[in-house]
Amino acid sequence: MANDKLFNGLPWIEPRAVYVHIPFCAHRCGYCDFAIAVGRDAEMEQYLEALEAEAARVIVPRPVATWYVGGGTPSLLPAPLLARLGTILNRWFPLIAGGEATLEANPESFDHEKASLLREIGFNRVSIGVQSFSQVALDALDRPHQAEAAAQAVKVARDSGLNVSIDLIFGAPGQDLPAWNRDIELAVALAPDHVSAYGLTYEKGTPLERRRRSGLVLPVCDDTEHAMFGLVMEKLPALGYQHYEISNYSRPGMESRHNGVYWANEAYWGLGMGAARYVGGERSVNTRDLSDYLRLALSGAPTARPGERFEGLEAARETLFLNLRRARGADPVEFERRTGRSLQSMLPGLEKVIDARLLEIVPDGTVRLTPEGRFLADTVAGEVLVKAGRDD
Amino acid sequence: MTDTRLIRNFSIIAHIDHGKSTLADQFLLKTGAITQRDFRAQLLDGMDLERERGITIRMHPVTIYYTFKNERYELNLIDTPGHVDFTYEVSRSLAACEGAVLLVDATQGVQAQTVANAYLAIENNLTIVPVLNKIDMDIARPDDVKSEMEQALGIRPEEVLGASGKTGQGVEDLIAALIERVPPPEGKVDSPLQALVYNSHFDSYKGVVIYVRVKEGTLRKGQKILLMGGRTEHMVTDIGQFRPTPTPCEKLGPGQVGFFMASVKKLEDVKVGDTVTDALYPSLVPLPGYKVPMPMVFSGLYPSNNNDYENLRDALARLKLNDSSFTFMPENSEGLGFGFRCGFLGMLHREIIQQRLERDSDLDLVQTAPNVTYEILTRKGEVLVIDNPQKVPDAGQIEEFREPFIRINFLIPTSNIGDIMKICTDRRGSYVKTDYLSPTRAQLVFEMPLAEVIYDLYDKLKSVTHGYGTMDYEIVGFKSEDLVKLDILVAARRVDALSTIVHRSTAEVRGRRLIKKMREEIDRHLFEVVLQAAIGSRVVARESISALRKNVTAKCYGGDISRKKKLLSKQAEGKKRMKQVGQVEIPQEAFLAVLETGD
Repeated sequence: MANDKLFNGLPWIEPRAVYVHIPFCAHRCGYCDFAIAVGRDAEMEQYLEALEAEAARVIVPRPVATWYVGGGTPSLLPAPLLARLGTILNRWFPLIAGGEATLEANPESFDHEKASLLREIGFNRVSIGVQSFSQVALDALDRPHQAEAAAQAVKVARDSGLNVSIDLIFGAPGQDLPAWNRDIELAVALAPDHVSAYGLTYEKGTPLERRRRSGLVLPVCDDTEHAMFGLVMEKLPALGYQHYEISNYSRPGMESRHNGVYWANEAYWGLGMGAARYVGGERSVNTRDLSDYLRLALSGAPTARPGERFEGLEAARETLFLNLRRARGADPVEFERRTGRSLQSMLPGLEKVIDARLLEIVPDGTVRLTPEGRFLADTVAGEVLVKAGRDD
Repeated sequence: MTDTRLIRNFSIIAHIDHGKSTLADQFLLKTGAITQRDFRAQLLDGMDLERERGITIRMHPVTIYYTFKNERYELNLIDTPGHVDFTYEVSRSLAACEGAVLLVDATQGVQAQTVANAYLAIENNLTIVPVLNKIDMDIARPDDVKSEMEQALGIRPEEVLGASGKTGQGVEDLIAALIERVPPPEGKVDSPLQALVYNSHFDSYKGVVIYVRVKEGTLRKGQKILLMGGRTEHMVTDIGQFRPTPTPCEKLGPGQVGFFMASVKKLEDVKVGDTVTDALYPSLVPLPGYKVPMPMVFSGLYPSNNNDYENLRDALARLKLNDSSFTFMPENSEGLGFGFRCGFLGMLHREIIQQRLERDSDLDLVQTAPNVTYEILTRKGEVLVIDNPQKVPDAGQIEEFREPFIRINFLIPTSNIGDIMKICTDRRGSYVKTDYLSPTRAQLVFEMPLAEVIYDLYDKLKSVTHGYGTMDYEIVGFKSEDLVKLDILVAARRVDALSTIVHRSTAEVRGRRLIKKMREEIDRHLFEVVLQAAIGSRVVARESISALRKNVTAKCYGGDISRKKKLLSKQAEGKKRMKQVGQVEIPQEAFLAVLETGD
């Protein structure tokens, strides 16, 4: 990274990235299990105070290379509160020149005014939750926006000079392969810089998952889901979007640098309700309850429980598991510098997935998922976390 | 030491849930052995597992005192288990008594277990004091139940008392009836000592505690005794009675029930049914002992992790200390590695042992499907006893394949006769007879193979009769049948631990259901897994589990890393109780699939 000189500490000890969580949503979508707060917009102002209090308690102002404001629905913040968020970020985490600053936006709460305000604050990238252009899929996912609104939002962002990433979901109940093909084509037609394509997960405890269990919703069949994943992996690269992570595609040079921090297993700050952080080798997560978060942060109390630390082989396994999310996989030099162990030494224990040709070792020593392995990334990840580097 | 004239020894026999333990607690309360404050439910059931399941497995004697017509009586209550698996324990208890309270729930009526245990008592020449329990309840139907008792057991309605374990109503009349109807024990204080060992248990502080009923003579502290069967001599160090807590005393006279310790180190040194006599003035003959119970149900127990073999052996040995009715022998399975073939009295016994093992030793176990003991007459004329399907020789060497048959007795609502008939005939049962106890209740008798009973017959009975049906059975002998060994192949490998012995006529259907069930239990692998059922080299059924094609979660960002890591690690470590056979991971549920295929 060009601005490495600005940072003294090792990137897996001292964060160069900050994540800020804005939990407010107008509505809970059927598939969502994120830390969100619905119908509590009256507490937005207090929440921003709490964010500042949390920052003031744990850190001194320091520059970072990436901001990522996620949610919830950050774009739901009215302009004055968005401005306040900008003030907090710029005060505690000044963005280095050339830094990446992303905010998640939903089509129904994003307009020209907010887009230009974001630019003024320092944001240069929005991630828009399109999910689908088909009304059938949007209804199945219980998304409030209309199919046309998404295209409008992308246009607004583009006009304001923001880089655009769009999120798509495949495997929604009722969606078929041609509909998914159309979604990909319509997305590309909007010329985003970046596309995230997620297979729908039925998360425990969500209304969608309950409806599936009680038989009210029929998930798409395995073969279709497999074909959908196959289709997007084939199609987006052919249209100029590199497949650089299991669910992420970008134009050259437009990869999400913030998310790259996670997959490199490097450090990051986390602020806000339910936010996770990885600082100084320790992972911790803030409370997921809004009232608790406000009370704790505003009274100057810790907002997270004591964290967990991982060392030695376990830390190396974790790094390899995260590296393997990337298309480029784990690089032998980078891996050894990060973990103190050679990448080669991690291979014993992984015979099962190597023999099944899910994981490959390239002549230069790089270890990565094969195209087939991407379909079974969790199987490989499990083996890595439990067996990699095993010497018995 | 109480005069034999003033001693009464009795058991309470009853069906499960008919309120035996509550009634026993009322005895303790009415005789002042415990206070209302101590009156906790089911005081007699000492073990947690027993309390949890509301059943009594282990016999625990209690001595209580009661003043009747100005004389102070010593009453010894010897508890009995209420489940069919433990019939032999019942007969042990009864041998230490002169009388038995036959307790029948006035709301539910006579049950199969009531009949079976009442006949045991009659065979042991015990005086029966019949009592209806729960007479305080609105739904009690005492007259109907009395006529059922008359029909099934020949008990005269006018002899039947009424009581309520819950309120204590009628308990004093019952005690009076026990004193008046049950004869006092025989035996003389100065005869040579004869005391029957009817139970023993191992206490990690005190060593072996021996439960005895003195028949003749006197057992004293400091006495040198001889265990007549074992031919070993010991010095009595402590004597006591349970009143209801262990209370030391100096001696036990004829008719008395209590316990003693004599520095016996190992439980194996004391045989239940043995006779204790004085080493210097021994009795010439021992008392008639007990027949050693034969385990009838076997299954393999294997540690999930092969390194736990030694731990499992130690845990089994510890269990065996307090439960001589259960057996274990090392065995070796190609698929499962080293484990043990364990023998149980029945399915409940097997379940209890497994739970105790897991609770006490923190071992993760894989259990194979249970089977009964078979006999094979070979062409050479030898008789092989087969307690494990793996030991079945080639079909060519078998002259006769025999299996144990039982006579099974159901007490059911008359409206369910048809259902039970069907269930029995589907399980190769042959009809013996029907007796009507009342217009609404009937006794149905069948003879059928024990193997058809052990899996799910009891559950089936309970479900079709909505809990109102009961059953009891006894082994009648071995019969030659057209039996075959059904093998299961997983990914072309025969998994010996999955082999079962089945009747040829049902082999194909069983095989199909079995692998279908296994198909649901085995997770998808990275390759296709083929399941086959075969008799010898003939494949009778086939299923396949298609390869896992997609397993990937879409998102992995900062917030999820810890959670995702835990989830994935857990998945990869596999379900608990999983055994790897070749390349395939087979969960415990698949090994027990055979249990659920007998519809």
